[in-house]
Amino acid sequence: MEIRPILSSLMRNKTGPILVALQVALSLAILANALHIVGERRAAAARPSGIADEHAVFTINISHLRGDGPEQDLANQNREIATLRAVPGVVSVANVGQLPMSNSGWNTTVAVERSQTRESAVASTYSVADSVVQAWGLVLAEGRDFSAAEYVDIPMGSRDTPRAVMLTRALAARLWPNQATVGKTLYIGMGEDAMGIPVVGVVERLQDHNANIGERGEMSIIVPRREYGAGGATYTVRAAPGQRERVIRDAEDALRKASGDPVILHTRTIDELRAARYRADVALSWTLVVVSVLLLLITAGGIVGMASLWVNQRRKQIGVRRALGARKRDIVRYFITENVLITSAGVFGGVLLGIGLNQLLVNRLEMERLPLGYLAGGAVVLWALGIAAAYGPAWRAAGISPALATRSA
Amino acid sequence: MLRMSNLSKVYRTHMIETHALRGFEIQVNAGEFVTVTGPSGSGKTSFLNIAGLLEEFTDGEYILDGVNVKGLDDNARSRLRNEKLGFIFQGFNLIPDLNLFDNVDVPLRYRGFNARERKERIEDALAKVGLASRMKHYPAELSGGQQQRVAIARALAGSPKLLLADEPTGNLDTQMARGVMDLLEQINAAGTTILMVTHDPELAVRTQRNVHIIDGQVSDLVRRAPSLADSPVPAAVPA
Amino acid sequence: MFGYYFKLGVRSLRRNPVLTTLMVLTLAIGVAASVSTLTILHMMSGDPIPQKSTRLFAPVLDNRPAENYDPGHERPDDQLTYIDVVNLLKSGQGVRRTGMYGIAAVIEPPDKQIEPFWTEGMAPTRDFFAMFDVPFVYGGPWSEADDARGADVVVLSREMAEKLFGDANPIGRQVRLLDAPFTVIGVIGAWSPQPRYYQLQSGRKFGVNEDLFIPLASAIRHKSSHNGGMSCSARSDPGFEGILRSECTWLQFWFETASSADRADLQAWLDNYAADQRRLGRMKRNAPNELYDVPEWLVHMKVVGKDNKLSAWLAFGFLALCLVNTIGLLLAKFSVRASEVGIRRALGASRTDIFRQFLTESAVIGLAGGVLGLLLAFGALALLSLQSSAMAAVARMDLAMLAFTFALSVLAALVAGLLPTWRACQVTPALQLKSQ
Repeated sequence: MEIRPILSSLMRNKTGPILVALQVALSLAILANALHIVGERRAAAARPSGIADEHAVFTINISHLRGDGPEQDLANQNREIATLRAVPGVVSVANVGQLPMSNSGWNTTVAVERSQTRESAVASTYSVADSVVQAWGLVLAEGRDFSAAEYVDIPMGSRDTPRAVMLTRALAARLWPNQATVGKTLYIGMGEDAMGIPVVGVVERLQDHNANIGERGEMSIIVPRREYGAGGATYTVRAAPGQRERVIRDAEDALRKASGDPVILHTRTIDELRAARYRADVALSWTLVVVSVLLLLITAGGIVGMASLWVNQRRKQIGVRRALGARKRDIVRYFITENVLITSAGVFGGVLLGIGLNQLLVNRLEMERLPLGYLAGGAVVLWALGIAAAYGPAWRAAGISPALATRSA
Repeated sequence: MLRMSNLSKVYRTHMIETHALRGFEIQVNAGEFVTVTGPSGSGKTSFLNIAGLLEEFTDGEYILDGVNVKGLDDNARSRLRNEKLGFIFQGFNLIPDLNLFDNVDVPLRYRGFNARERKERIEDALAKVGLASRMKHYPAELSGGQQQRVAIARALAGSPKLLLADEPTGNLDTQMARGVMDLLEQINAAGTTILMVTHDPELAVRTQRNVHIIDGQVSDLVRRAPSLADSPVPAAVPA
Repeated sequence: MFGYYFKLGVRSLRRNPVLTTLMVLTLAIGVAASVSTLTILHMMSGDPIPQKSTRLFAPVLDNRPAENYDPGHERPDDQLTYIDVVNLLKSGQGVRRTGMYGIAAVIEPPDKQIEPFWTEGMAPTRDFFAMFDVPFVYGGPWSEADDARGADVVVLSREMAEKLFGDANPIGRQVRLLDAPFTVIGVIGAWSPQPRYYQLQSGRKFGVNEDLFIPLASAIRHKSSHNGGMSCSARSDPGFEGILRSECTWLQFWFETASSADRADLQAWLDNYAADQRRLGRMKRNAPNELYDVPEWLVHMKVVGKDNKLSAWLAFGFLALCLVNTIGLLLAKFSVRASEVGIRRALGASRTDIFRQFLTESAVIGLAGGVLGLLLAFGALALLSLQSSAMAAVARMDLAMLAFTFALSVLAALVAGLLPTWRACQVTPALQLKSQ
């Protein structure tokens, strides 16, 4: 291993090596950060919503064109639920006010004491007329689901206190850390007007309607109340496995037939909701992956190009070395060693640059800090890339005949 | 030391065949100082390249220091070159980005000596050619004659049995050339066999033996006693 | 002389097609990545109404309770209550003003063959059309009388008019909306400002096209619920009427002034108004009342997403990589021409001549890279458009970005070529060169 002479020779012709090292550094910095972001986004998009087996669940929103008054509206809704339950292949149905990952819904400030001046949390509020624990397959962590008596139907716009409330685990942990939650009173709003509701159950997980990133996305409450009179409703339906498409068609037909006046139906599957919610994140991930691949290709090309140039420039010298007794292996080793030295310098610079870039992203774009694993992994990739890219030119160098020492002028 | 029998070297490029050497016969004994002369295109360079294991030959036999060269693979040839031969080129062929110490170091690295042994040999070799004080300098800072002497040091550092020189004084002025020749004669006197290709007849007459090549074959073997060499100018001091 | 250098450059590039392809491709990819992300950023941050963007003002009032007041805390939305909208409309401030909210309505086409479907639109007052320079192809905005009494009249978008009535002029025709017959009194032409600056609070900022417009009073009369967000900081009485009287915010408002200098007066009036309301028991927080002109509004509403900025930064990092790569390739390319340079110098070329020649060659690569980069950028933007309608609205090259692509590519190539060109100039004049 002749590192010192190689290093000394490199220092005499710094430009080329610096250019290669710079490319390696830039690549590593961008690669590490890009892959980190891809990892984050994929993790975010993979988060469970709380709905079990999402592929089997869909929602139908029904709008009645003729507004015949709130009583008629309530009767419609009851009829519609019965109709849906009767469709073969329907496992469960629930009338709900909003859906997770839908970007449409209600937020409510909640507190643990009436006298608070600052809210304890902001929770996404699911108003339901039937058991979503059943329809969505939510996992109960504590307590129980609502009982039949706890569900109330009230005219739209009225404000009366719900009889019970369920929380998500994340919200419970925030409001009453390390305590049993069932039996506590949750206050919606604060001050004299606040509504105090007893907590009857805690579900493991139900994302908010925006599927926000972080803890915010896991704070939801479920209240057993239905506001009627809006002239329409949203039903969430769980179909038997593998039968979703057929059940959708049959459900739509059944609803249309069962309704006296014309209705508009708008059906969406949970899969569609998820796809829409994370579309931008998936697109960004793909873009970053493409950029990463291009990055590596370009850097590899740059290394191959420069290495080939150096081999060409030093043809005579290589012949002389061979004449002096270097074997082909020695020549290959020389060039690979030279390349490893340059790549290592680049990797070192890239680690610094990568941390710097990440710092910039954290400060200006509120991104997450880069875990060192990405830098380490990226460094390994670039080392491997550097060595692989240098192999071609190194082998060509080894093929240079020792006769070049005497033959060329 | 070196024996070639019925050696031939044919170059084939596309449709042209060139016979650089044919039926070539030569024997060089240990301790001799032989010059090889011949007009351009006569095959001197091919002969030197083959002798130096830089090229392969088409036919015939070549025995170097008791080893039959035919059939040796590239690695074995490289090893043989490294251990038994030393090279001196017309264009010096020093590596410009390395200082003198590192230049002389190059063949030693392939030999597998440890750092201490290498250092000793390099310092010895540079001292022999009178350039030990400029070990850390770079070739560009030296005159032609000095560069050639570094090349000689490089050739000597590994204690070779046979030194091959290709027009070693071709790029030097008369004074420097004489200095280099004196050095070579000293080396030969110390026991190293030297085979030198040159087209300068003045140099040819200085050596014990001269081999003349024409059209790929040895044409003359002339033995001369050193005392009969006539040099009109006395030997110069090394530059 | 530059023509000569240009020809030399082209010829030299042709001699080594592999190296040239590599250089042009690398540059093109870097340029394409930067240009596509920058285009999206450019379209997102463009001024959607440059002719009057500093004369249009959105007021924001803070009507939440005095408790829980944290000045640093972000507002849940920047909308207004119905009470405030009514008062602001009556104020007579500015040369024009409009209050509005987004509606979603089921439309029943007169042609019974077409099933009823959902539409989305706005319910503004009549000044909306003049304030935001909305062009009409048929008819015009409703009258002041219709505006005041909330008549059942509707202005359709061109697409909606064609969908309902085909190519015919639909003025005077009727269509069933919100369970009542509405008369079509106008059809607007192409109007799709990006972003949808007049109504950003609903979250959809790009790629939205309004299907229809009805008078604000009409939507209120039909109790049409809001298509967007609502934020209630206190309990409201039941029913739609209760919401109208409440402190729930769900509407938007804009003033138009004669000149941007009138801003101070408007601000003063707004502060006075808030003080008056406080005397009536509202606006307990006494928080600052704000006015935003359009550019400020776009910044405040964070129209340019973080992801877009991220993409742009990474793209420029990528361009930097391509630049360094190109420098290396150019160095390689120019270094093998040392003998040519030596001969040219020996024959009388000065260092400046060599400099010009090789820099021009770099520029040729820049131009080629620009052409290829432009094609790649178009492709990239087309791919990005597939993502969503919002993306499709902004992933669009305009003339400015087109010119920018070429400028960037040539500039990048010139910068990359500086070092190799300088190196080439250092070659000493000689008719015969030995290379080591």
